[in-house]
Amino acid sequence: MLTDRHRERLLGYALVAPVAIFLVALVAYPFLSAIYLSLTEKVVGYPARFVGFRNYESLFDSARFRIVARNSAIFTGASIVVKLLVGMAMALALHKVVRGNQFIRGILLLPWVIPTVVIALTWKWLLDLFRGLVNVTLIDVGAVTRGVHWLGDPTLAMVSVVMANVWRGFPFFGVSFLAALQTVPQELYDAADVDGAGGWQKFWRITLPSIKGVVAVVTLLSTIVTLNDFNIVFIMTRGGPGAATHIFATYSYELGIMSQRWGLAMAASMASLPLVALLIVGVVRYLHREEE
Amino acid sequence: MTTFMKRLAIVVALIGVAVVPALVPASAASKLSLWRLKTYIPPADKILDANAQECAKKVGVELAIQTYTFDDMWTKYTAAIESKTLPDIAELDAVGPARLANLGRLTDLSDVVAAVTKELGPILPNAEGAVKFGGKFYAVPHYAIPLVLFYRKDILAKVGAEPPDTWEDIQKVSEQVKKAGIQDFPNGFPWNRTGDGYDPAMSLLWSYGAAWVDKSGKFVGIPKAQGLEALKMATRAYLVDKTSAFDYLSWSGSTNNESFMAGKITFTPNGPSILYQEESTQHPLQKDTAIKLMPKGPAGRNLALTFVMNWAVPVDSKSTKEAKAVVSCLMSREPFMKYMTGSFRQAVPFFATPLNDPYWNTPTGKIIVETVKQGHPVGWPGPTTPAAAEVVSSNVLTDMITRVIVDKASPETALDEANKRMKEIYDRVPVK
Repeated sequence: MLTDRHRERLLGYALVAPVAIFLVALVAYPFLSAIYLSLTEKVVGYPARFVGFRNYESLFDSARFRIVARNSAIFTGASIVVKLLVGMAMALALHKVVRGNQFIRGILLLPWVIPTVVIALTWKWLLDLFRGLVNVTLIDVGAVTRGVHWLGDPTLAMVSVVMANVWRGFPFFGVSFLAALQTVPQELYDAADVDGAGGWQKFWRITLPSIKGVVAVVTLLSTIVTLNDFNIVFIMTRGGPGAATHIFATYSYELGIMSQRWGLAMAASMASLPLVALLIVGVVRYLHREEE
Repeated sequence: MTTFMKRLAIVVALIGVAVVPALVPASAASKLSLWRLKTYIPPADKILDANAQECAKKVGVELAIQTYTFDDMWTKYTAAIESKTLPDIAELDAVGPARLANLGRLTDLSDVVAAVTKELGPILPNAEGAVKFGGKFYAVPHYAIPLVLFYRKDILAKVGAEPPDTWEDIQKVSEQVKKAGIQDFPNGFPWNRTGDGYDPAMSLLWSYGAAWVDKSGKFVGIPKAQGLEALKMATRAYLVDKTSAFDYLSWSGSTNNESFMAGKITFTPNGPSILYQEESTQHPLQKDTAIKLMPKGPAGRNLALTFVMNWAVPVDSKSTKEAKAVVSCLMSREPFMKYMTGSFRQAVPFFATPLNDPYWNTPTGKIIVETVKQGHPVGWPGPTTPAAAEVVSSNVLTDMITRVIVDKASPETALDEANKRMKEIYDRVPVK
């Protein structure tokens, strides 16, 4: 006969089981498979052959991979910093707006709900050398005499894909920060006013410390998503000119799909894993410390 | 009684398991899948689909057609290769037959090719390298979308230039156009990551005598002197004369069409789809648009045929006989001619009879046909191999060019790097 305690425990396992099975099937299995594949010489259509860390060695020896890693770091770092700043500005501004707040919020959320493919194609057209709205406008207002090579100059091409990524991603930051701002007690600001604190001081001493947990989590999530971004770069530049905007995702696609080298492609996409893992551990520890 | 009932149930189940599969093939064989390329010419696609359904009806099967674009073709096929779910009939690109035949995943179609030859005449010898391996045909060449040189007649007239015949000519005329202030960047040769980049890159290298394999398909490396000359030509427009904009290096597959039709470039390599677009939209530039064979170099005119489509029957098919019959039917005279003549000169055959059809007897038609007659398969002067396929698909050739243009690597360094990458590919993917 089962005791009540045992029954309760079994019921607990039974209730957790569907979620656990779901997680194992859809998250753990593909993830572990990817790690295993990255340790094999796996060419599409052929069986995988275990080669240990040889794929990683060959990647780190490759000048091309180093370019890709550098591009990924620039793309992700620049995108996150700008999204953070723009998102914060959006949240602070909306926090102050009383009339039409909902409407403005809805408008600002638009980039986030539009499919990424549409966003990438739109930016590609906007920045086209000959027919793009940006160049046509710049020439019309006399700011430049000839079209700017937004997608042709290696530096500007990186700036362009970062711009498109920022445009798509800043509403996520803004809305999250806005929600966090609304939980900060008004009394703190009132007390600061009495003490004669200025706006900047209030931001640094009250606002930011109060929402830093949300800032950390949002930044972490967006870093992971940005690091794995594919559509924007693939559609706007295909990693070009040359390899100037080639990032982990487009490089993995080139290796895995076009060259049919799954093992190496998996290793390329796993290369950023230690960094992401460190970020996750850092943020989680920080949040725990804050809670305590 | 209970035991008897259990035994009875087991016997019935076993009989069911044994009998049902025997009944299934009749219905399973009646449903075939066909994957084809979605081209830039929708009316031609419609004709092909109608032909395929008509052929399926004749063979007595049902046909489910799925499409892919050049961009997502290998995503679709890669998943299918791994999961062993390739379609019954597959339209494969120029390197598809070599890749899949090397994996042992294609059915021998030599009998189908023999039947098609009776209908459509002899096959062009230059088509064989991409579909015939070990003396057997593993695919039937369907058609080629040849890349030709598009140029603006009116602009050439303005600068008093003849239509260019060599790579050098294109450069010279581009400089004249720029100097005359007509266009800033008239030379629209994009060394990008699409067929519009690597197809001309092959033509350029080969016409400078810079092939990377011998006639057997064995890797020998791009010869230094010829390779450097070709690189000089490819990079000059970007770095020295500035007749090409760096933006062209980031173009997608259709951006050169759009730029040409927007009147922003004088030259670009492209399939005949620009002709279709201009004709169907009554475009103002239609009267000023002309085509020519892609340029020649010091080693002759050695054109690449990258946009080639071939019918294949993967071994995954459980209805090989029916699938072959559908392919035979699609390549029989009536449906094939209907498709070819409705393709706005995009679908150029590899068989003698339709190639000599009066349909091609127009100024543009003759050039398009000549391109296919003179064209070479990927991996020339050898046959198409999985290693050659990987050289192209991993952008080794265009990367070599952009290393000089974008990264400012020396041509010698870029050439050495490319040869090193190709050697690694050929060592890893040996020619069978």
